[in-house]
Amino acid sequence: MEVRQAADRRAQIIRLFTLLGGVYFFAYFLLPESAIEAIGLKERHEPISNGFIAIGAMAIGLGLLNLVSAHGSRLAFRKKGWVYSLALLSGLFSMIVVTALQWRQSLAATAELRKIQVVSDFAQRISQDAEGQKPAPPLPTRIEALQRYASEQLSALDVGALSPGTSDSPLRGELRQSAQALREKISVAPAESGEALTPPTKEWLEAVAKAGSKLGAALSAYQRELASGTTVQQLYSLLYEGVFTQLGAAMFALLGVYIASAAFRAFRIRTVESALMMTAALVVMLGQISLGRMVSDQLPELRQWLLEVPNSAAFRAIRLGAAVAGLMLAIRMWLSIESRSFSSRKK
Amino acid sequence: MQGRRLIYLAMIVAVAVPMLLGWSLQPQRLVTAERMYDVVEGVQVEPGEVAVVWFDFGPGTMAENEPQAQVLLEHLLRRRIPVVLLSQYQQAEAALQSIPRDVAARLEREMPGQRWSYGEAWVNGGFRPGGSIFIQALVNAPDVSKFLGREVGGMPIAQYPAFAKIGGVERVKLVGHITGLTGVFDTIIQFFQKADYRPTLVHGCTSITIPEAYIFLDSGQLKGLLEGIAGAAWYSEVLKQHFPQSNNTKLLVVNTALSSAHLVLIGLIVLGNLIALKDWLRRRHG
Repeated sequence: MEVRQAADRRAQIIRLFTLLGGVYFFAYFLLPESAIEAIGLKERHEPISNGFIAIGAMAIGLGLLNLVSAHGSRLAFRKKGWVYSLALLSGLFSMIVVTALQWRQSLAATAELRKIQVVSDFAQRISQDAEGQKPAPPLPTRIEALQRYASEQLSALDVGALSPGTSDSPLRGELRQSAQALREKISVAPAESGEALTPPTKEWLEAVAKAGSKLGAALSAYQRELASGTTVQQLYSLLYEGVFTQLGAAMFALLGVYIASAAFRAFRIRTVESALMMTAALVVMLGQISLGRMVSDQLPELRQWLLEVPNSAAFRAIRLGAAVAGLMLAIRMWLSIESRSFSSRKK
Repeated sequence: MQGRRLIYLAMIVAVAVPMLLGWSLQPQRLVTAERMYDVVEGVQVEPGEVAVVWFDFGPGTMAENEPQAQVLLEHLLRRRIPVVLLSQYQQAEAALQSIPRDVAARLEREMPGQRWSYGEAWVNGGFRPGGSIFIQALVNAPDVSKFLGREVGGMPIAQYPAFAKIGGVERVKLVGHITGLTGVFDTIIQFFQKADYRPTLVHGCTSITIPEAYIFLDSGQLKGLLEGIAGAAWYSEVLKQHFPQSNNTKLLVVNTALSSAHLVLIGLIVLGNLIALKDWLRRRHG
């Protein structure tokens, strides 16, 4: 009895949140922009949307658990088709392991990149704070800190990505040039660095921010080049581009031979309607291919007319019908009357 | 069983022979592709304004969508319009990386001394989950650069000078959408807009979804369309008319292979009906 009550309460909570989520997006889509701004929803929409996206992403985790549970049990109990389950789980886990390794490898590179990005962000922030007269340490102190921080990062780069032992490449050359440009910028102190932000100081800060951004971009490109040569990346390319992409393309290519088989066996003219359909299909096909012009110069125009007039009219009708049905389904789901899937109680 | 094998063999030969021998024929003129060329050619961007191109395709439809993505990007890069690449489909990752890189390398070979580098000519925003919710948030964001955050390499998009100050979505001057999926284009049509902004939208689709795309072309919501490989092939021909150095040989060979496969299909339909007619006549005359 208690279990049933708990399940009902859970179902009510789910229905309530489904309703609220629906109300939110329905209102946001329909309300005029002035009304959205007036109730302060405009600036809150982005974090709310991100929240919904994060909840949606959890479905991937649930799907993964479901997949492992269904195929794991089939494999464990050697049920019919267990070999296919083994193939699926092997593919799944090898891809997860390789991707996790790749992600782990990229963490160090991202950390190094972010340290360089701080140079640009710091320079911009100093400028913005001084212009906005926000409470901050004195301007000369901040400029000195910026110079010191940038020098430290450039030194770290010299013993890291730009160390003499590393093999040379055009991207590494660009990185060296960008580092040199930033070094030159920070070595020249602003003409005036009093308490107030003077135009030369502002100009210097902008130049440092720009040089910092350029160095970040060069480092990012060089890191990508370095990563492409690692064993993990090569393994990932083998699995993704060598296996997955090729199998996906091969599966889709099978459609071509199935259509060829269907063309011979199934496309028979038995009625006036099927004759009309067949004629339209032939005109559309011939009107699109290179060899069609050999049959008639009028074919492309006829094809265009068929697609623009009868096809558009028919498709619009189909889409309108489907849209009305979709709307009804959405309302039923929104109001949780479509099914009792949220509840353990069956009809 | 034997008959089916012969049909499969005929199809394989029809596709393989033009590709192996490098045969190429002039593609059929498609007005939708011409219209799309004019639209892209007419886009004028001020500093900071960009084009957003979605690659929503994976390995399955790569054969049709990759040439479309290549010709659209080639045109945008030739015109020096900065491009933000995005995807709603996680399997598009490889295409987002390789296609712009290959197009830029080809242009650099064609015009020595000129450069199309990552971060200036294009930036890869990667796969973005959330579909319509993400698109709605994007169009309502006060600054697209800040909203998109980091590109795939981990750099904030706003730190690339060409993409630093995009501002609101009004500064997205062209939206390109290349897809082999059904229903994904609808989210762009429905949600990539707001009260005072309707994007200039061009679309590349697989042959299967051409009929559906025509309704948006007819309504004016879509300004240009690439119809499968044939559309990409004709677009590349129009590009070649304006930029004679542009090399579209590979695409024309693929298009010729497709034409040859279509001919086999038409032949099989005619043959199947002739056999059915013969059977019907035999039955009728006892």
